[in-house]
Amino acid sequence: MSRMICAATAALGVALAAPAAAEEFKWAVTTDPQTMDPHAVNSTPVLGFLNNTYEGLVRRGKDMSVEPALATGWEPIGEGEGWRFTLREGVTFHDGSSFDAEDVLFSYQRASSPESDTASWFAPVSEVKVIDAYTVDFMTTAPNPLFPSSIANWMIMDSGWAEANNATRPDKEAGNHATLNANGTGAFKVTTREPGLRTVLEPFEGWWGEAEHNITRAELTPIQNPATALAALLSGDVDFINPVPIQDVARLASNPDVKVVQGIEARVIMLGFPHEAEALKFSSDIDGENPFADVRVRQAVAHAINVPAILQTIMRGNAEPVNQLVSAAMSGYSEALGAAPAYDPEKARALLAEAGYADGFSFGLKCPNNRYLNDEAVCQAVTGMLAQVGIDATLEAMPVNNYWPELRADNFDMYLLGWSPGTFDAEHPIRFLVATPNEEKKLGSWNFGGFSNARIDTLLPMIQSEIDPAERQAMLDEVAQIMADEQAYVPLYVQPLVWGTRANIELTQRPDNFFILRWVTVS
Amino acid sequence: MTDIPVAPPPKSRLRLALESDVFYTFRRSPVAVISALVVLVLLVSAIFAPWIASTNPFDPASLNLMNGFTPPLEPNAFTGDSFLLGTDDQGRDVFSTILYGMRISLFVGVAAVAFAMVLGITLGLISGYVGGWVETIIMRVADVQLTFPSILVAMLIFGIAKGITPVEYRDQMAIWVLILAIGLSDWVQFARVVRGATLVEKNKEYVQAARLIGRKPGAIMLRHILPNVLSPVLVIATISLALAIIAEATLSFLGVGAPPTQPSLGTLIRIGQGFLFSGEWWILFFPACTLLALALSVNLLGDWLRDALNPRLR
Repeated sequence: MSRMICAATAALGVALAAPAAAEEFKWAVTTDPQTMDPHAVNSTPVLGFLNNTYEGLVRRGKDMSVEPALATGWEPIGEGEGWRFTLREGVTFHDGSSFDAEDVLFSYQRASSPESDTASWFAPVSEVKVIDAYTVDFMTTAPNPLFPSSIANWMIMDSGWAEANNATRPDKEAGNHATLNANGTGAFKVTTREPGLRTVLEPFEGWWGEAEHNITRAELTPIQNPATALAALLSGDVDFINPVPIQDVARLASNPDVKVVQGIEARVIMLGFPHEAEALKFSSDIDGENPFADVRVRQAVAHAINVPAILQTIMRGNAEPVNQLVSAAMSGYSEALGAAPAYDPEKARALLAEAGYADGFSFGLKCPNNRYLNDEAVCQAVTGMLAQVGIDATLEAMPVNNYWPELRADNFDMYLLGWSPGTFDAEHPIRFLVATPNEEKKLGSWNFGGFSNARIDTLLPMIQSEIDPAERQAMLDEVAQIMADEQAYVPLYVQPLVWGTRANIELTQRPDNFFILRWVTVS
Repeated sequence: MTDIPVAPPPKSRLRLALESDVFYTFRRSPVAVISALVVLVLLVSAIFAPWIASTNPFDPASLNLMNGFTPPLEPNAFTGDSFLLGTDDQGRDVFSTILYGMRISLFVGVAAVAFAMVLGITLGLISGYVGGWVETIIMRVADVQLTFPSILVAMLIFGIAKGITPVEYRDQMAIWVLILAIGLSDWVQFARVVRGATLVEKNKEYVQAARLIGRKPGAIMLRHILPNVLSPVLVIATISLALAIIAEATLSFLGVGAPPTQPSLGTLIRIGQGFLFSGEWWILFFPACTLLALALSVNLLGDWLRDALNPRLR
């Protein structure tokens, strides 16, 4: 009898062990990718995830350099009239249909449509011409030396699939077939998508590239509470978490079962103002005026915030202070710009008094609570610091799924935003966060406060088309200086990247915080 | 003329209470005495929090972020400040925050139970006394509500109320919404007990006599029946209080209760939970202990009260 039990147990053991031999990989993130549509939301959780299933003409390698993907090569046309891309032949989408120039044209039309959140990537493009099935020309309004690298996150969708499923345009709010399903050419295909619960990926057999990974199935689970995610990592329920709560880094590093992978992210965390608003929306004591329209009030906010204290306590020394919208690791970073406004509550009070708000005022601060590292704690600290100079913030923290619509609807008096330049260049945040919002020109799409500066608007196209690095840098320096003088935003710090994995996982961390599954090996 | 016999002078209420059976059993039960003491100490320290606490943790202007994560009784490495029970991530003194947080917890608990009690007794009395379709409707509503977990009902009410209040008043409203949410999820047991007791009482002779002399139904319910059904209500109220305090803590722990700028015990536990792995145990430990002590002693008092008021258990 006992032998039978033994045999049965052994058989059961074998049965259980069999699927484990296949390399299953599970990971947890704070923010679920809101959509599977690569053109609907321009945010890192979405684009980072979809980089595993969709591909662009070009992609970024482990060192962020631009390398061929669906295009095998590209060259400038004439004297900077545009770029010619030669497409890769023999590529198929996950549903088996083949990839050609029509899909590129369709994806351009889709991604540059007003419904898309990625339209501003194509602001310099005047026309896209299909030359033959595997050659496409992108004509630009002015010479654009950075164009190929600026479309590294632009992903190609199959035109036939989108038409058959009634998803020829992205739908940010209501969603459509492409919100819940993915059909790319990438190394992994989405087999199950349950928003907020789990997303399952399996390797795509027909991928054109050489697989570096050894994963047979991967599952993404959003875990909003960082402490819960950490517990899941420690117990081995998941193999990878992003991010590791900053306070737990030291303790994790001493645990032999897990590894902490640390780096500096390209992301700058900043406070934004309602430049355009006629009046504050969430004030209980001032009516019909907008104190933040006065540059002195914005400067007062900058002087009131004790960034070193935030870095010391909340970020535990893992983040870097910053004085502009990009970190020093980005190209086009302004070395010439002076230091950020120092913490000086006296000066802040004096500036407020000068602007006519000696008694302070109350307003509403909006903040995400599951997007950036310790975002809510930072906002709470900001609330306290502003209260010390006499302006009272009512803090409302919410998950990103509610946060972006709230910002798009202008429901804020001040907000927290993090920005990671997709092109790794200082021009990127100018285009998205600083240029006067203009739907037609596809500019300023994340400039929620509606900041507007004529000089910067003039400089932006010149920066985009300037080929001489010194000239270009001079213009970028000028923009950075105007931004600092105007205090258009209050840049706070560069966020650290802290990933945690089990000890048997090998992976590559890219500074844009994209987690690329095809570089993961499980041993 | 016959002498009217003179009644002995009535004893004072205090004397009556001190000589009562209930007080006798109270003195004889060490558990009850200790629980009552704990509740009393916590209650007094919550009420007098502004005088006992060294800082006002609800005033964001009083916080110094550099004091964040100071361990109990150790001076902070940057500011040199020292705190009895340490500080949380924002540099709030945990001791002061517990005192202030307890005020919210106790206030919400007591107010929610009072609200549930008034609602439950009223509906219970009416349905028991009036009967008929009124009773059917009230009790079926109660039955339906009992099929939902009360925390779910509370979250639902909280969600709706939060949706319809303007943002600038949300923080002030949060406490009242909590009271409403917990109270509304809790009235059913009061209604059921009162209805049951009313059904028994309404056929007794004193009620019939009151009816015969033409007293109005409202007066009969309030003046005659209510006093006779109050003792089970008292027991439920005490136990409900402990449950309401825990319900408030649960809601706040889930992040839907007291706002982070006005932390209750549950909010503090939620904040502290994020720092357990990193070794800042005091942020969670002390608020959790306080909640435990509070809920446990109120519960034990309720248990004792139930035994004391039920002669059959003695």
